[in-house]
Amino acid sequence: MSALLVAPFALPLAVAALLLLLRRRPHLQRVIGVAGVVALVAVGVGLVVATAGGEVHATRVGGWPGGLAIVFVADGVSALLVAGASIVSVLCLVTAAARDEDRHPLFHPLVAVLLAGVLGSFVTGDLFNLFVTFEVMLIASYVLVALRGGPREVRASTVYVTVNLLASAMLLIGIALLYGAAGTVELASLHRVVVEVPNAAIGATLVATAVAVKASLVPLHSWLPRVYPVAGPATTALFSALLTKAGVYVLLRLDSTVFADVDAFRQVLLVVAVVTMVIGVLGAVGRSDVRGILSFHMVSQVGYLVLPIGIGTVAAYTAGLVYLLQYLAVKGSLFLTAAAIETITGTGQLARLGGMLRTRPALAIGFLLPALSLAGIPPTSGFVGKFLLVDAAFESHLLLAGGVAVAVSFATLLSMLKIWNGVFWGERTSEVTDEPGLAAYSFPVPAGGAGGGDPPAPPVVRNGRTLALAAPALLVGVLVLALGVLAGPLVDLVQPAAQTLADPQPYLDAVRRS
Amino acid sequence: MTAALIVGILAAAGTYLVLQRGIVRITLGFVLLGHAATTALLAAGGVARRDLAFVGAPGTPGDPLPQAFALTAIVISFGVTAFLLALAYRSRDTLGHDDVEAPDLEGSLLDQSASALELRIPTADEDAEPVDDAPGNREDGR
Amino acid sequence: MLLVSVAAVFVLAALTPLLVRGLGRDAGYVGAAVLAGIAVWLGASTPTVLGGEAVTAEVRWIPQVDISFTLRMDGIGLLFALIVLGIGAVVLAYAARYFGRDQRRKASRYLALLTFFAGAMLGLVLADDVVLLFVFWELTSISSFFLIGGLGEGKAGATRALLITSIGGLALFAGAILLGVEGGTTSLSALAADPSAIVASPLAPVIVVLLLLAVATKSAQLPFHFWLPGAMVAPTPVSTYLHAATMVKAGIYLLFRTTGILSEVPMWTPTLVVLGGATAVYAAFVATTQDDLKGLLAFSTVSQLGMIVLILGVGTPLAIAVAGLYTLSHALYKATLFMTVGIIDSATGTRSLAALGGLRRHLPLVALAGGLAAISMAGLLPLVGFVAKEEAFAALLHAETAWVGPVGTALAVLASFGTFAYSARYYLGTFEGPVRTPAHRAPAGFVLPAVLTGVAGLALGLVVPVLDPLVNGLARDATGTDPELHLALWHGLTLPLGLSILVVLVGSALYLQRDRVTGLLTRRPLPRGADVFDRAYDGLLALGSRVGRTSTSDATVTYLLPVLLTAVAVVGAATATIDLSDLGAPAPSLAGDGVVIVLLLGAVIAAVVARGRLAAIAALGLTGFTVAVWFVLLGAPDLALTQILIETLTVALVVVVFRRLPGRFPNAGRRRRVLGIVTAALVGTGAATATYLATGRRELSDIGGSLLAEGQDLTGGANVVNTILVDFRALDTLGEVVVLAIAALGILALVRFVPRDAVPMPHRDDPTAAIEPDFSDARFGGAGMIGSQLLRTTTAMLAPAMVVASLWLLLRGHNAVGGGFIGGLVAGAAIVLRYFSHGHADIWHARTTRTVPTVGIGVLIAVGYGLGGLGLTGAFLAGGKIPLPFVDDVAASLVFDIGVYVVVVGLVASIIRHLGQSVGPHSLPGRDDDAGDLDTRETARTGSGGLS
Repeated sequence: MSALLVAPFALPLAVAALLLLLRRRPHLQRVIGVAGVVALVAVGVGLVVATAGGEVHATRVGGWPGGLAIVFVADGVSALLVAGASIVSVLCLVTAAARDEDRHPLFHPLVAVLLAGVLGSFVTGDLFNLFVTFEVMLIASYVLVALRGGPREVRASTVYVTVNLLASAMLLIGIALLYGAAGTVELASLHRVVVEVPNAAIGATLVATAVAVKASLVPLHSWLPRVYPVAGPATTALFSALLTKAGVYVLLRLDSTVFADVDAFRQVLLVVAVVTMVIGVLGAVGRSDVRGILSFHMVSQVGYLVLPIGIGTVAAYTAGLVYLLQYLAVKGSLFLTAAAIETITGTGQLARLGGMLRTRPALAIGFLLPALSLAGIPPTSGFVGKFLLVDAAFESHLLLAGGVAVAVSFATLLSMLKIWNGVFWGERTSEVTDEPGLAAYSFPVPAGGAGGGDPPAPPVVRNGRTLALAAPALLVGVLVLALGVLAGPLVDLVQPAAQTLADPQPYLDAVRRS
Repeated sequence: MTAALIVGILAAAGTYLVLQRGIVRITLGFVLLGHAATTALLAAGGVARRDLAFVGAPGTPGDPLPQAFALTAIVISFGVTAFLLALAYRSRDTLGHDDVEAPDLEGSLLDQSASALELRIPTADEDAEPVDDAPGNREDGR
Repeated sequence: MLLVSVAAVFVLAALTPLLVRGLGRDAGYVGAAVLAGIAVWLGASTPTVLGGEAVTAEVRWIPQVDISFTLRMDGIGLLFALIVLGIGAVVLAYAARYFGRDQRRKASRYLALLTFFAGAMLGLVLADDVVLLFVFWELTSISSFFLIGGLGEGKAGATRALLITSIGGLALFAGAILLGVEGGTTSLSALAADPSAIVASPLAPVIVVLLLLAVATKSAQLPFHFWLPGAMVAPTPVSTYLHAATMVKAGIYLLFRTTGILSEVPMWTPTLVVLGGATAVYAAFVATTQDDLKGLLAFSTVSQLGMIVLILGVGTPLAIAVAGLYTLSHALYKATLFMTVGIIDSATGTRSLAALGGLRRHLPLVALAGGLAAISMAGLLPLVGFVAKEEAFAALLHAETAWVGPVGTALAVLASFGTFAYSARYYLGTFEGPVRTPAHRAPAGFVLPAVLTGVAGLALGLVVPVLDPLVNGLARDATGTDPELHLALWHGLTLPLGLSILVVLVGSALYLQRDRVTGLLTRRPLPRGADVFDRAYDGLLALGSRVGRTSTSDATVTYLLPVLLTAVAVVGAATATIDLSDLGAPAPSLAGDGVVIVLLLGAVIAAVVARGRLAAIAALGLTGFTVAVWFVLLGAPDLALTQILIETLTVALVVVVFRRLPGRFPNAGRRRRVLGIVTAALVGTGAATATYLATGRRELSDIGGSLLAEGQDLTGGANVVNTILVDFRALDTLGEVVVLAIAALGILALVRFVPRDAVPMPHRDDPTAAIEPDFSDARFGGAGMIGSQLLRTTTAMLAPAMVVASLWLLLRGHNAVGGGFIGGLVAGAAIVLRYFSHGHADIWHARTTRTVPTVGIGVLIAVGYGLGGLGLTGAFLAGGKIPLPFVDDVAASLVFDIGVYVVVVGLVASIIRHLGQSVGPHSLPGRDDDAGDLDTRETARTGSGGLS
């Protein structure tokens, strides 16, 4: 068991080190990189199975007695997230390979490290270790954003790095203050600390604020839509599935441990969630480039993901988890479609696109289903998630929150229509031809052939490649429908996890036993 | 009291610097904020206990855990600082300076002017410099 | 049976493309046959259904919130199912000839979508679970979006239609959930059986408003009516089916369904009467002014739907029954009319009344069908439309609520004036009078469907009593009581008959004076709904881009400031709320601390005010060392040592980077300085207060205590801090090592692996490379910044000594001050020293410092140590002892520490190797000139050996 628990952090690191030494064998790198993530999927599934019944497993890393070492904990929530994140990552890597975005000799190592950080933050039960895993995740993402190294990337990375550095400093100081007040950094031992130790509230809120930055809650959100559209398209998809989710996950954890029984925390998050939904979706409506729209939607969706904390019932947590799981796939595939569009046409500007329904019907379908799901149109999984969420809100007589959640889906649909009309309908523009142009290869050619030294591939997107680009999105499309129809089993799957969020007792016991 | 003052001073100075222009100056600010964090960590251990955290050391040994935390934190922030400075180095090569606020000769980044694409012919400003044929692609296409 | 029927339609939709591939457009006939068959099959159970027992079928869907896939066919469901399937069959048959033989792909797409839509509609009218109803409701909206939009030709209309209907859809969504929450169940039949919970609920009005919003948008009631005429860009079969017979009936259906649940709510009747009546009258008169036949029919549809809403608003069983009849007759004649228009369009090439006339001679059959339909619409004997209108008047006159009777009747009569006028206009303008545009004859197969529905209207009129059980059963299922309505063409001289005659008279007058009406309506035109919508749409987009502005700035301050202020605000609020009564005493301060503070204050102020870069570095270094002193005072020697080394490296690093940057900082301006000072004051005070309140007020933490107590016994290390780093919390250290490694790689990536302006690799056998010692300018010191002979000689001796020292520190770390980090940093310092004395080339050619291998191996060692522990003891990163011959055992964690050491060295080396290279001509900011880029490429290529 303990091996399974540390695997999400240790395995990708080992893979990363290996990939570094294989830097001159791009194809081998690609194979091992993907294989490593597939292995992580297996790990995730293993964890899901191990926690399906609501069990919680904990282990002291290094096996030191007496609670001296860092504790790794896996309950339903962690397990589901590890599995979900790894699965989406596989899809992203496929697309990255399909568009040769991964020809940069550092791409695969960096992705592995990124995963280590994110998955590590899902299983760690120790606040300071959480800080470390976050840093691992962030440093990798810094480099990934800057990878192309052009002026746009430099500007965006500067924003990205500085904002996250500030958040990290806040997180660290928050942890310090929390330790200063409570004398421990272990989430389980910090259960209800805000209620029991008066001055712990100071550090706790600072920690929560820092995490909110990483989750991009309004008003701490504006960096995300500035940065994400600049990274490599497949990389953005990866980020969308991993980074903000880590923030949301930690908020859920804090809610069930540090802030347990603190109503103010919930009320604040409720308001913040609602505002985030609205602001995010408005921003999305205002943008006129595909990835810009999608990036703002990430902000808006974070609102939906945090809303359950504000509601705070088991039904709400269930809804939140269902929503989160399907959303991972949906948003990932939308960004992958964006990646495909940019690979084929070289632009994401709606004004420059059009008529792709005729040239690339597969892509259109691959976009349509996830887009409908994002807007919560039945019978997609997004509808199920939204329904459960609104139902939970109304059950707790939070009419306004639920109402906003419903109203926001209108603007969401509108922005999806914007993309559909701009990209797939309308006049076919010069970029959108059957023979796609040079822009297909917007990956950096490492100065000096560290990519194997071979010259850039010929600038033609063969049909096979187009299919490879559309495949992940189509796959998710099918998944989205399936989850919509098989909502019952899905809810059964997440309910125990939701239980542990509402009542962390099993979590605490598991840590105590370890 | 002392610890609080030290943290406060460092945090204030760091804050001031990170709000200024130029990656390098901002970096200096983050270095100071990093110091603030480490000092806060040590303070969390309790500045009352000031003797070596060695086994068998005399007096009241300090709490070793925050010291370990601080050590880790220092090193991590050094790593990130190094990267941030590399970014400044790179911005000098691409922008000519380390001041990302200075407007770019290649035109503004994101064209935000969005109007009803679907419902009428795109207006002129929608055709402004799009995100994706910024240098990133042009030189790669070459 | 129900499940099979619905599924069958969807399957048919899926198969249609294949059918078309096989049969061409004739596939439409197959589809028609299937729909008709299903209609018959469902119709077979009419007796039982009208006998009062509904047919049901159920499948589990989300049992946890008891949402189930339940279908139920009662009287209402039956009527609508028959309309959906019957008209569907006719339309598919019509479409089979509407599309040309050569339009296979188009036919395939539209036939498939139409069939899919039929399935959605059937599901909608059979759904018993309100959530399920919503699902099908949205499916109809989506499929109509694609039916209207085609391949993008009708995207404006489609977008409006979808957005408007989705407003209603979301309202229905919320309303449905509220129904479930308030009523305790989502089963419509259960709710209708006992509406008390809903009626009693304080939210009842909210629910009503939400549902009526859904109805008004879907059934094109004011002020949402405009999407329907806008949707007329779609091919005629689509208009016929969606916008005449079925989709717009979804809203009506919802009223039938919910009237039994909500009609008790006070606002129900008045809202419906006003809404429906206004729509009916307005649209009727607009219709009379239309020139485009499709436009005329579109507005007439709006008007007729208004009538039905008005009748339903009355809410009496009688009214419900009549509404059922009205819906049926409307479906029949409106379908006919649209089909005839399609035929006329294809036969003459125009739909403009101004260009049409006298077609009776060319298209006699069409004229027959159109004539019958027009008579039925106008409400004349002996067609079913007449009966419907008569009974409508009667129902309105017998309304229960006092004022509804007169008001409703007046509105209905008023609307009927217009109805009569535009009916006349349609028929006379198209088929009578002089021929304006000649028409080539239409194939019989194209015309027959229209004739079929037209004649059906007549037949039903003649034998109208057969509909008694249907409408009565429907009314009973909706309201619970049987109105015992007896339909007949002739009721004798009644008030309704009088009204009808009035309608005929005024209507004819209106027809004759239509130009006046047109003038009247156009002189003071109401704002066109579409324009209002578009303005709102653009407004939303504009608002959106204003909201998004914050994310377009390049200035980091715009992103950092909100974070800082929020943090201060939130933490401040939290601090304000806690009670500080029972905090422990703050930790004591010593005299020495004061000195530290003074020093620090000086250093910090210097760092802040420094405008020159070198001054700033000096101040920064001073700050760092002061902090180190503070650490010493706190009894943290490892920390102090690390701090000093890190500080040294940071300074060196900054100096290295500065060499490529202007000597002074860019000036942010006065406002920014003020902003900075204010924020700094806030943050500083906040941080100080927080630290003061939250730290130093408790005893030694339990874990700290046990670490001090048990640390050595467990790990054999006397330096507790180090044992924490490499044993207890080795995981943190592992993460930290990874961070350093990635930082090193990031530097490499930014300097060497970039497509443009990459700094070329120095190359041994290429003397022209820009890294030859450049004594001309020490600031760009190819030969090191402090290129003094003395320093070089000292370094020659010092550097190796430092390396040895670093190894010694590494080894002793576990028991005394030292460890992997400190060791690594010292070794790094040696590299830096050598760089400053001997220059970049010297470091570059020391292959042992290559970045990727070094950090890769370092991380591999660290992770490998962890995995080894996992393999040997079953615990990742497990510590332990390695027995050695001759000397004492060594803690296994030494291996781990070595990994750390290597990575740290790798990072420092990476900084020096890549950032430390002197400035060559290549790295001037290359803007556009290809020449510059080309030679960058060139040098880059030659350099390729360097980074392997």
